[in-house]
Amino acid sequence: MSGDRLPCGVLLDDLLAQVAEGTAPRDAAHQRTCPHCRAALAELEDLWAPVRELAAEDVRAPAGLLQAVMAQIRDLSRNNWSAVMSDPTGQTRIAARVVGAVARLAAESVPHVTLALGGGRVATPTGTAADPALVAGTSGEAATDIGIAGNHVVVDVQIAVDLGAPIQQVAAAVRDRITRHIAEQTGLVTTQVNVTVVDVRPPPGRTRMPGR
Amino acid sequence: MSQAAVSADRSADPVETRWVDLARAGDENAFAALVRQYQDQLYRVAVRMTGDPQDAQDTVQEAFLQAWQHLPGFHGEARFSTWITRILINRCHNAHRASRPTDPLPEAEAAGMPSTPAAETLAVAAHRRDAVRQALLSLPIDQRAPLVLSTFSGYTHAETGRILGLSESATKVRAHRARRALATALQEWR
Repeated sequence: MSGDRLPCGVLLDDLLAQVAEGTAPRDAAHQRTCPHCRAALAELEDLWAPVRELAAEDVRAPAGLLQAVMAQIRDLSRNNWSAVMSDPTGQTRIAARVVGAVARLAAESVPHVTLALGGGRVATPTGTAADPALVAGTSGEAATDIGIAGNHVVVDVQIAVDLGAPIQQVAAAVRDRITRHIAEQTGLVTTQVNVTVVDVRPPPGRTRMPGR
Repeated sequence: MSQAAVSADRSADPVETRWVDLARAGDENAFAALVRQYQDQLYRVAVRMTGDPQDAQDTVQEAFLQAWQHLPGFHGEARFSTWITRILINRCHNAHRASRPTDPLPEAEAAGMPSTPAAETLAVAAHRRDAVRQALLSLPIDQRAPLVLSTFSGYTHAETGRILGLSESATKVRAHRARRALATALQEWR
């Protein structure tokens, strides 16, 4: 199709705009009587019909798209998301994994508590001192799950408790210490600390229970 | 004009503004509400821009992910729908640049092929729509984008201009050129 004029002088482009966009004809009276215009309009209507049909197709996002997007975002939030604190002089961003490291070190500092890394492993074997590099490093991340929104933090932590220690009190102490350390070291507000006790272990100086 | 475009021309919806504010503060549920609101609209754009449902899905996912990561820097200078559609179009541009050119047919085969699909094949309605899809994909991307947004996705020229960073009049000119190129391609294939 060229941008040519019809023999009657009407621009073909104007007719295409009329058909494609529904714009009003420049000269409706002329168009009603001009055979060139009517023929060209009929041709363009036929040409543009499949475009209209395609544009009218009911196209919807695949069913799993929302879930896929949110799964990626949750993954980002767990691993890469940062707390953001703003003041007039600028922003401070603290990565979620840093908050996780603070939480794990805080939990490990509570008597009778060892982080549970999953798979039955504990961060600090019985009878050994906690290694801050190990507890705060990436291998300790399985023990905590950190959610951050703005300057609010939610911590899920998995621990093993020494056999004989009062679990409720130990869990309360873990909650309290994590909340305090995060506030002191990062300035963030901890709104929840969910403690999951996944194992008990012999206290230092005692051997492991038979059968375990 | 589609419902999406009508709503895009209205001033910012207070509920949407609230979702954006909450999402900016890290609220995943609020962002999920935005995804739910705009996923169909964006997918419609992406599928016409890329011509492939899987590529379209990937591009939309990437656009939402990029939006989530950059929300702290989004302060409502534009409507959220404008902003995220701009991200999507940019991703389509990038994907287009990164894609390998189609391998040409061997010369012997190419010589025996008609230069355009047979007219009788395209006479079938479903095939005519396929012809439009192919013609759309044959357009340069700077023409395809305004046409996809205005003709296939229901955005006004003003909104299309805001998405593409063009004035309304420049958008109209590009859309018009694209329409003419599309019509020419369709005419050749009849």
